[in-house]
Amino acid sequence: MAYVATRGGARAIDQSERLYRAELGQIDATRVTTLRQSLPNLIDRVMGEASLYEPDLAALALAQTGGDLYEAVLLLRAWRTTQPRLAIAAPVLQEDLITHRRISAAFKDIPGGQILGPTLDYAHRLLATDVLQGRPYTPTPVEPAATPAPAHQPSLAAWQKAQGLVADPLREDVAPDAIPDLTREPLLFPAKRAHTLQSLARADTGGMLALGYAAMRGYGNAHPTVNELRLAEAEVRVTHPSGTVFSAGRVKVSQAEVTSKGKSGQLNLGFCATLGWNEVKVISGATLDLNAAAAPKGSPVEEEFFLYHTEPVEASGFCIHFKLPHYVTFQSALDALRGAKTAEVPA
Amino acid sequence: MTIAALTKAWQPMSYGFLDPSAKRELRRKMLKAIAVPGCQMPYASREVPMARGWGTGGLQVTLTLLKPQSVVKVIDQGADDSVNAASIRSFLSKVSGAAETWDTLAATIIQSRHRIPEERLRADQVLVLQVPNPEPLRPVEPNMSIARQMHADADYGRLWLILYEQMVRAGRIMEGAAYPALVNGRHVMTPSPIPRWDVPKLHMAQHLTFLSAGREKRLYAVPPFTRVEPLVFSDVPYQVEDHGGLTCHRSGVTGYFMNEIPQDVGSVFELSDSHLGIKAIRLSQAEGGVEGAADQIGPTWYENGVMP
Amino acid sequence: MNAMLPPQLMTTPPLLTMTGLCRRYGRVTALDDVSAMVYPGEVLGIVGESGSGKSTLLRMMNLEDTPDSGDYRLALPDLPGNLFDLDRFARRMLCATRIGIVYQNPHQGLLMKHTSSGNVAERLLIAGERSFAALRARGRVALEASEFPLDRMDARPIELSGGMQQRVQLAKAIALEPALLLLDEPTTGLDVSVQALVLDTLKRLQRDRAITMVIVSHDLGVLRTMADRVMVMRHGRVVEQGLADQVFQDPQHEYTQSLVHAKL
Repeated sequence: MAYVATRGGARAIDQSERLYRAELGQIDATRVTTLRQSLPNLIDRVMGEASLYEPDLAALALAQTGGDLYEAVLLLRAWRTTQPRLAIAAPVLQEDLITHRRISAAFKDIPGGQILGPTLDYAHRLLATDVLQGRPYTPTPVEPAATPAPAHQPSLAAWQKAQGLVADPLREDVAPDAIPDLTREPLLFPAKRAHTLQSLARADTGGMLALGYAAMRGYGNAHPTVNELRLAEAEVRVTHPSGTVFSAGRVKVSQAEVTSKGKSGQLNLGFCATLGWNEVKVISGATLDLNAAAAPKGSPVEEEFFLYHTEPVEASGFCIHFKLPHYVTFQSALDALRGAKTAEVPA
Repeated sequence: MTIAALTKAWQPMSYGFLDPSAKRELRRKMLKAIAVPGCQMPYASREVPMARGWGTGGLQVTLTLLKPQSVVKVIDQGADDSVNAASIRSFLSKVSGAAETWDTLAATIIQSRHRIPEERLRADQVLVLQVPNPEPLRPVEPNMSIARQMHADADYGRLWLILYEQMVRAGRIMEGAAYPALVNGRHVMTPSPIPRWDVPKLHMAQHLTFLSAGREKRLYAVPPFTRVEPLVFSDVPYQVEDHGGLTCHRSGVTGYFMNEIPQDVGSVFELSDSHLGIKAIRLSQAEGGVEGAADQIGPTWYENGVMP
Repeated sequence: MNAMLPPQLMTTPPLLTMTGLCRRYGRVTALDDVSAMVYPGEVLGIVGESGSGKSTLLRMMNLEDTPDSGDYRLALPDLPGNLFDLDRFARRMLCATRIGIVYQNPHQGLLMKHTSSGNVAERLLIAGERSFAALRARGRVALEASEFPLDRMDARPIELSGGMQQRVQLAKAIALEPALLLLDEPTTGLDVSVQALVLDTLKRLQRDRAITMVIVSHDLGVLRTMADRVMVMRHGRVVEQGLADQVFQDPQHEYTQSLVHAKL
């Protein structure tokens, strides 16, 4: 017996969920495979924001949510947090990355060379409408270069450090399993460096672009130059309990390093890396990181501001929570308002 | 539904959904929160299968407290059958095997959004309030790091200043729900967006209250028999909503917090604590000779519309 | 004027005693072994160009900064020992209740989005005043003493002129009747006529309440009007000090001489 008719309770929520799922229809392994194969960039974006590298699960999450990215990320995050932690992988050094694409805007050429790799940067963005007329689009085959680019590339910043162009920060020698973990500890400010980078890696691509773009347009205090942008694969090296180090597989990663002239006559660096290939996200993230050091409190390029506000699960969840009823708080405000009209204002 | 069936069906999931490491962290933070009443404890706040802002903070605390013998009540805006309350309650019982109830008297754990039930809670009950924004200083200081320092310094001057200026401008305190209160004479907390009507229920209460914000990753507590004093001027008494004289048009009950239902002309009111209303209707039917009313209404915080 | 008081003034113990203050910021030496004393009811003027260390010294007096070494005492009940050793909480309470400050930039001293009376009330609230009527009444008294027009007491400082903003700062500073009032270039940037009016108010306050004041200024005219004693600072050191009339009429140090001559 429902006391208040305006609330549907259990049956209503059950039916509304059915309505949503009916629209998506049956989900089977084929659909998941098709999604994974046809939407690698979307899969990458979701995996980065979920901080869970599992293309099949990411494709499943997209299938289950009909492509609602925030819902898909939430689904993956909620699954991820229940999983046991079997091992902690060894840190990956830049020179160990299997690099597919590596560019620098700071120099015409860099030690190791510029590698264009896969990109639409110089393509004409034309819709292949022929496909809709029944004529499939087949990509033209790639012609391999005479000498393939080396898979491993040195870090440009390492060269710059050697030249005295950038400060060489004191490297803390932290054991891999002692690195602070954002998913197991709250984010407090000033943030630990590991937390900052983890938070950037998990951040919402759109949110990061909006704030990063604001910084680029002039709301920041440093104008970024892309020092080095990489799309690569990283070997996940773990140690077996018996002591053997082995590769558990490879994950796609992207990283960007941006730079600007610092006050001390050296270059400042901003850095961002994430799982999957997502150039817009890492360039925006690195720009925010670059700006954070000198940011005034409360500015959009201050660490606390952009890390709190680009967390996809928190931001989207809070946004949609406004759909929940708020009539008790509204009633309370209304009472104060009615009282104010009649209250006398003291001299 | 038995737990054994559940754990088999959900092999990768721990009892009560959260894995032991998450629960251990929460237990530690909850104990700390009890030790320093009203002080916000940061915690990792895991993702749960519900959107942030929809009670994930309360959910994590409740999941940590639940055991198979628990009896759980979940309300939203005072109502048990509100859609999100129904969703949370069914999730809680599904992952823990705890029994569900609508009756405040029968519950061992009550998770609530925006209300405290009208019936007095006992020492053997725990109240878990969902908190959207745990920071009472947010209106004067949006930066959380600075706000944390202000709490450490007991620097509440600017919070008082807001109340002072409301008096200057409107002639009364204009705070609606989430009225800031000083806990144990030390930390100012936001009691979550409960109406002013409910804040005095926390003062020197018999029960333990947890307040938890999942999105903002903060939890705090009001242990039993702890002072909870709304910030008020010595010469301007604390004012609860003027609901003491209103009557519920469904149950005929007077003297509790009401929902206003606008009509073509004026408004009618109904009890916000929906199950109290149900019990009152059933009891009156029992008196009228209708069968099946084993309901009981426990002692309430307010009597005849006033807090004794 | 207090400078007219007989020398017996010197037999009463000083209210403020600072000894051997040193402070470096990176390679810059802001204070180099600076000592200062201020006697009850006295007005000490500190003069020097920017970078001389005078503002750093004032910030130290307000416990906003801690020196690398040095000692700071106020002869007040329950305050034995070096004030720089106080913990954060005790410092804050001391500053809120016993020391008032007026900054050159009102944005530094005032909450611009709040009402003028509220700015004064905040001080009283920090000190524990919880009666609304008393907050209003005491706020009015302080604003009136600063010769602030009471019909504007609930206007926000942002809506007020520079002179009025300084009066709000002053009211806030004196609301709790502090033992020490610090003034950091209080009239710099104001129109000359407004400047004279604000200085008048300060002088009247000083006369009526015998408040101990320290006033920092690069403007010799301000110090000539206000100060009983003057300290001349340069490169983080005190180069000359003495009774105001004496320093201005017969400067000993060549830097002071150049200052006085430049003014003439």
